[in-house]
Amino acid sequence: MEELVNKTLAFDYFAGKVSPLQKKSIERWLAQPGNQDTYYQWLHEWELANLQLTTNWQNAFDATQERIGSTVRVSSPVEDTSVQWWHSSRLGIWLAAASVLLILGIGNWLAGDVIRYKTIETGFGETKHCLLPDGSVVELNANSRIRFPRFGFGSESRIPLLSAETAGRQVELTGEADFSVRHLPNHQRFVVLTPKGLAVNVLGTQFTVFSRERRTQVVLRSGKVALTLPKQPDQPAMIMKPGDLVTLDAQGKLAFKQTSHPENASSWKQHRFTFETTSLREIAQTLHDNYGLTVHIEGEELANRTISGAFPAQDANELIKLVADLLQINYHRDNNNVTFTN
Amino acid sequence: MTEPEGYQRFDSGDVPRPLRAGSHATAVVDNEFFIRAAFAESSEKGFEALFRLYYNPLCSHALRFVYTREVAEDIVSEVFYQLWKTDAHRSVQFTYRTYLYAAVRHRAYNYLRDELTGNRTPASIDEMEYAGAEESPQTLVEYDETFQRLEKVIKELPSQCQRVFLMSRFENRKNLEIAAELGIALKTVEAHLSRALSQIRRAILTMVCLLFVGLH
Repeated sequence: MEELVNKTLAFDYFAGKVSPLQKKSIERWLAQPGNQDTYYQWLHEWELANLQLTTNWQNAFDATQERIGSTVRVSSPVEDTSVQWWHSSRLGIWLAAASVLLILGIGNWLAGDVIRYKTIETGFGETKHCLLPDGSVVELNANSRIRFPRFGFGSESRIPLLSAETAGRQVELTGEADFSVRHLPNHQRFVVLTPKGLAVNVLGTQFTVFSRERRTQVVLRSGKVALTLPKQPDQPAMIMKPGDLVTLDAQGKLAFKQTSHPENASSWKQHRFTFETTSLREIAQTLHDNYGLTVHIEGEELANRTISGAFPAQDANELIKLVADLLQINYHRDNNNVTFTN
Repeated sequence: MTEPEGYQRFDSGDVPRPLRAGSHATAVVDNEFFIRAAFAESSEKGFEALFRLYYNPLCSHALRFVYTREVAEDIVSEVFYQLWKTDAHRSVQFTYRTYLYAAVRHRAYNYLRDELTGNRTPASIDEMEYAGAEESPQTLVEYDETFQRLEKVIKELPSQCQRVFLMSRFENRKNLEIAAELGIALKTVEAHLSRALSQIRRAILTMVCLLFVGLH
């Protein structure tokens, strides 16, 4: 009966035009080893003959390649050796520490944040990919800064004098950054501290923290994080699930929301801007935060107009032009001043 | 990229061939030669070839289940990403085509089920693990029946209702925009949508639920 099955029948079957008995024979045919390959081959040919949409595979490939690139770089050989150096040659650390101590003197040393902490900054319009000593990856958006202890960050054998006195891995963030936290064998905590007094406690996960003057926001892509407010110890910790978006308002309260696209919060990593009924006023704020521009909008009505969608823009000019095109308005840029008019 | 030495070396070398040797009569002509040649060169080249060949038809197929362009593309991209990230492309058991179609259908079907049963979490797409195991013939037929039934239900919706549903889902338009474009009340748009959804739920869930119960 299985001899019945050929490409013509399969095509009719995919189109839902076969009798129940013919369907049964296809089911039996599928049970024979190797036939599923044929089945998918025919399905593929049928789909090609009945396409429902056209897509841009090149864009999808580029985006996926970029996604892969950002995780592959974690284990690039150069970084590996430097990490191994810290772990393997303890002697080297002692020698380095001894010479540093000789030069600076202990008093100076304890006061010197510059030496105890490593700071990574981005300028306007710049994004940066940083590898922390423990293997975690931080993508830093424009006009942002992270600071973390230079010594003993995430290492298991800590040297008491040189390491930061706090337990676990602590990173201080001003601005906006996306974290891929590496889970360590000793379950060491990873904490992101923001200037507004919000602490994100992590055990190996991916999330985006937005911490600027106007707003503090955390979006979780995968894993689990607990939010605490160290300045308000009586508040219970808030546990976030993937897809949750939590903002800290001006009164210091946490507001909770669900987002179906948590990855949009970090679309800037691919130089993309994702807007969800975002007003021109908010976009102006983004231009200010990320590119240091001062934006004037003529009229309240114009400031309240919104944009939705995801758009690529490599720099401030592209973003301004894009926004003006979408809203069909005029703009004028004079150095760091931008004006939008109807 | 498809220079002869490229795949000759690959075929005669000790790298395992992803395609199982087809000893039976209906063996498919193996047209993934050049993809494997590209993979022999580098992962990037290999994936570029895979994307070029399969991305569009896979999205088109996923769309038959989810009816939203963005979701279909997300599902397909995620499958490619997982294949790449986990290095599973080195140990694909059959053809790449079989792996990709099976994984995409699995995810798209689960997405639809979760959406209709209200179990969908924002991370649904990420969380669904595809084990890469061979699916049973029953499951394959089940998938095919699902998208066919879905198409039938949508085809049989009253024309205005169908138009509203497709604008909302496929074109991802806001209810307000649809109301304005078709010159109907917002309430009418909402009524059309909920009617379409309840029809779909009735047609799909009876069979999906059976499978769902069977699994637990």
